[in-house]
Amino acid sequence: MGAERELSSTAIAARAALSGVAREPGASKADPILSASGVRRDFGGITAVDVERVEVQRGSITALIGPNGAGKTTLFNLLTGFDTANSGVWTFDGRSMEKIASHRTAAMGMVRTFQLTKSLTKLSVIENMRLGATDQKGEKWWNGLFSGIWKSQEASNTERADALLERFKLSHMRDEYAGSLSGGQRKLLEMARALMTNPTLVMLDEPMAGVNPALKQSLNEHIRGLRDEGMTVLFVEHDMDMVHDISDWVIVMAEGRVIAEGTPDDISKNPAVIDAYLGAHQGRSLMEEEA
Amino acid sequence: MFLSVLGSLFASMTSTAHAADYALRIQVKELSRDASGKTDNQPVAGVSISVTDANGVVVGAGETDESGVVVIPVPNKADYTITLDESTLPDGESLDPKTPAVQQVVADSFITNTKVISYFTGVSQSASMSGFEKVAQRLVDGVRLGLVLAMCSVGLSLIFGTTGLTNFAHSEMVTFGGLAAFVFNVTGLSFLGFLSFLPGIRDDGTFHIFWAAPIGIAFGAGFGWALNDGIFGRLRRRGIGLVTQMVLTVGLSILLRNFFLSRFEGRTRPFREFTLQEAIEIGPISITPRDLIVSILSLGILVMVALGLRYTRLGKATRAVSDNPDLASATGIDSERVIRLVWIVGGALAAAGGIFRGLDEQISFDMGGRLLFLMFAGITLGGLGSAFGALVGGFVVGVMVEMASLVVPTELKTTPALLVLILVLLFRPQGILGKAQRVG
Amino acid sequence: MDWNLVLENSLKGFIGINAVYFAVAALGLNVQFGYTGLLNFGQAGFMACGAYGLGMTSKYFGISMWWGIPLGILFSVALGLLMGIPTLRLRADYLAIVTIASAEIIRLIVRSVKFKTYFGGSDGINGFSDEFRKLGNSFGIEESAQYGFWPFRFTGRELWTLVVGWIVVALLGFLVYKLMKSPWGRVLKAIREDEDAVKSLGKNVFSYKMQSLILGGVIGTISGMIFALDRASVQPDNYSRDVTFYILTALVLGGVAKVSGSIIGPMIFWGLFTFMDNFLRQVAKDPINIGNLTIMNSTQVGQFNYMLIGLTLILLMVYRPQGVFGNRQEMAFDGR
Ligand SMILES: Nc1ncnc2c1ncn2[C@@H]1O[C@H](COP(=O)(O)OP(=O)(O)OP(=O)(O)O)[C@@H](O)[C@H]1O
Ligand SMILES: [Mg+2]
Repeated sequence: MGAERELSSTAIAARAALSGVAREPGASKADPILSASGVRRDFGGITAVDVERVEVQRGSITALIGPNGAGKTTLFNLLTGFDTANSGVWTFDGRSMEKIASHRTAAMGMVRTFQLTKSLTKLSVIENMRLGATDQKGEKWWNGLFSGIWKSQEASNTERADALLERFKLSHMRDEYAGSLSGGQRKLLEMARALMTNPTLVMLDEPMAGVNPALKQSLNEHIRGLRDEGMTVLFVEHDMDMVHDISDWVIVMAEGRVIAEGTPDDISKNPAVIDAYLGAHQGRSLMEEEA
Repeated sequence: MFLSVLGSLFASMTSTAHAADYALRIQVKELSRDASGKTDNQPVAGVSISVTDANGVVVGAGETDESGVVVIPVPNKADYTITLDESTLPDGESLDPKTPAVQQVVADSFITNTKVISYFTGVSQSASMSGFEKVAQRLVDGVRLGLVLAMCSVGLSLIFGTTGLTNFAHSEMVTFGGLAAFVFNVTGLSFLGFLSFLPGIRDDGTFHIFWAAPIGIAFGAGFGWALNDGIFGRLRRRGIGLVTQMVLTVGLSILLRNFFLSRFEGRTRPFREFTLQEAIEIGPISITPRDLIVSILSLGILVMVALGLRYTRLGKATRAVSDNPDLASATGIDSERVIRLVWIVGGALAAAGGIFRGLDEQISFDMGGRLLFLMFAGITLGGLGSAFGALVGGFVVGVMVEMASLVVPTELKTTPALLVLILVLLFRPQGILGKAQRVG
Repeated sequence: MDWNLVLENSLKGFIGINAVYFAVAALGLNVQFGYTGLLNFGQAGFMACGAYGLGMTSKYFGISMWWGIPLGILFSVALGLLMGIPTLRLRADYLAIVTIASAEIIRLIVRSVKFKTYFGGSDGINGFSDEFRKLGNSFGIEESAQYGFWPFRFTGRELWTLVVGWIVVALLGFLVYKLMKSPWGRVLKAIREDEDAVKSLGKNVFSYKMQSLILGGVIGTISGMIFALDRASVQPDNYSRDVTFYILTALVLGGVAKVSGSIIGPMIFWGLFTFMDNFLRQVAKDPINIGNLTIMNSTQVGQFNYMLIGLTLILLMVYRPQGVFGNRQEMAFDGR
């Protein structure tokens, strides 16, 4: 169980903002950064996602949990433009996003990571990180030839990248190929790389899968840190301890629908959630999944 | 073992091969009908023909023999003018207005190394084809090409569906079938001459096409099996990536095509049987009995393939693997077994396509290569990875290409296939029968 | 056997004009295939754009040959868009299919009777390169004079195209090298490995792929121009599918995703090819027989050589997909 600890001021603010929210699926939040309604995705016969309404409170850490195959990853794909919904509307920061291509959503500040890690194995770790920076002058081919144009920007990006690597305990691997990282390290790299885009909403698909427990603790700190820096975090996780530990709000999906919402404490007592997980796993690590 | 047999087969091909050269084959026939009204065209012998090149220099001349044919060698594929000396026609005969005495041949019309030019004498019954007749005739040609394409494409599409590999050497599997049948049919294998007690097998070890065709198909099946078990199966087990495998098929294609070229040479040659046949006229269309039989046979084979895919256990398993390899192997289907089957059946069908194409158009070392892009257009139209899609797509592309020659010059009749390819990819990339791509 | 001649020809093959135009085309293909992972199997089509761009200046437009350079580039940009727009959002195989088909159709169109007035039909186009030769003369290179020393003896005509050709190779090599070292090149390399990851970082993957396809295509176009200038003619059948395949072989021989690979590969390719060709031609003056079976006669030497190319490509793919000098971790191209 999460140790008793002092809450940061942003955590207190986030929890306060959420305290008045109804504990029911699709509850409206005071200041949603992301809100979706009627989102549906069918794959042949199966309906992978059928979300009537869901909102994510700005400045909070929100966990998205649910049994395997609940539709969490598919929902991420839809919201970030990696997949096309059969129907539904959603907004990010007040802007309508249904027709926005995936790379544009990222440029708008909504960045996601993948459940199956996508580290670019033939680039070095630091190159992976540099790639994450947005609005690079040198990424225009006509500027590419003239290093004078982009050298200074590259240097400041590198500085920022090094700081992030430090935070994620990857500095010693800085110049190695990403392919030589372990599975857990790749998860960390992907998360660090996503942060290079300076996002406002970070969507993490099982960031902790395969990360060792000691490192998990410090990762939890980082995720809290993101919120404290003003970002909103939405993450998918199967490890209930961690969910309990860091999230301000929990959304539960099963069979494509949102079946419950509430604070971590509410959720662990919610019979519908226990049902969805077949009762058996409640209270401990529900399912560890290898990336 | 299998390959060494093949090696010896192809090695012997050269024994009857002559130097590769270009030629004009000019035939003169008298249009006539017998008492019952059937066409009964008679060869006209002793007609003088001369050929001049673009600069007006005479490059060859000759007289038609008793079969009404004269073959005039020419130095290369170029533009030529052919002149028939009308004074040498038999008394009372005159040229059909459809075929004037002076005919132009353009370099591009050499589909094969031998260009056939026909002259007709007498009074033509169908002096000018009506628009409707033209359409009907093109349609028949299109159906023939479409059936061949459908047959060739099934394997290509299923190999893609089950393994993810785009096989650029598939065209060589088509050629292989044609050549294997040619070896048995025309070159002959003298050590098999002892079989001559069987009907259709001659002392010199040549086989009637009714033997040679199924043998060629069997060799095609064996070839598919050998490619899978000898090369691609091993690569899969070693975890070699798909792009690497695809580039490898490019190498394979270069290797095989030049092997075929070195053994078969650049000319095109017909099978021994059914070379010259009189067309039978059915309403507005004319079709030779050979083409009719070939079409019916191809149709039969395709129906069998479709039924097999639909109703047999292995056929269903094949479609399942092609649909979703991971899921299928999770449900206990032995996908390696299915893949092997796909290579074998795909190889057999490609070979059959090659043989039927060879009956249609003669055999050449590159006959498959010329169909490759049409096959790709077909399977893309039908849906990459879908077997039924390949059948439908290949057929549609074949018909479309032939019909296109009504509006565009024949030399450009394959252009619309590219157009279709692009339009399909723009508006329905999964093809007619394919499923939408998985994302994420 | 005249070893001196075999050796001389092989060494000339190593740096000859064939190696030059292959190196340029391979550089372009490397941008697409090596760095970005785009399967362009229609590089011959881009080369035809360049060659016909030059040829059409005299054949159709009747303007100075130098206009052919922008014209050819214009053609290849249009071709790149035609190939790229329908395919670059889809899985990689579709690009391979469309490029191979487009190149084939281009060849059919330029050799067609229908468009003979533009492209000269199957005869192609001759006599457009005078201005290029005159430029050589103005640098003091006599067309028919002999230059150099054994084994590198060239006529002035050959020398001039070689000098220009290698300068172009050096310039383009430098350009590609610089670009690939830039953040732009980094995006391409990342796309080769996982385009979803790149999209998730806010890059417009479609646009980068298109840039790569067109840049590689324009470089291919320049290769076609060099070849046409050397031959002083444009022939449709020089732009067949096989040409693309041989360039691909030369590229993977040297190693993909490296500028040096796309220059050294074609040199080795043509050095070896010329050697084998000369060697076998001498060996097979009389047919080589085993028993009464002819293994190879003089007309089969070419085909035998091409078979070796195919075999080389197969063996490379099985045993050394990173090329002869490449580093597997960095250069094997199968990201997916
Ligand atoms: N591309 C696809 N094609 C077909 N079905 C799919 C596809 N993607 C997902 N599905 C199906 O949609 C459902 C939801 O899948 P999803 O990956 O979203 O689950 P999840 O909640 O992320 O599960 P996990 O916790 O195991 O990651 C599953 O039944 C899955 O089989
Ligand atoms: Mg998931």
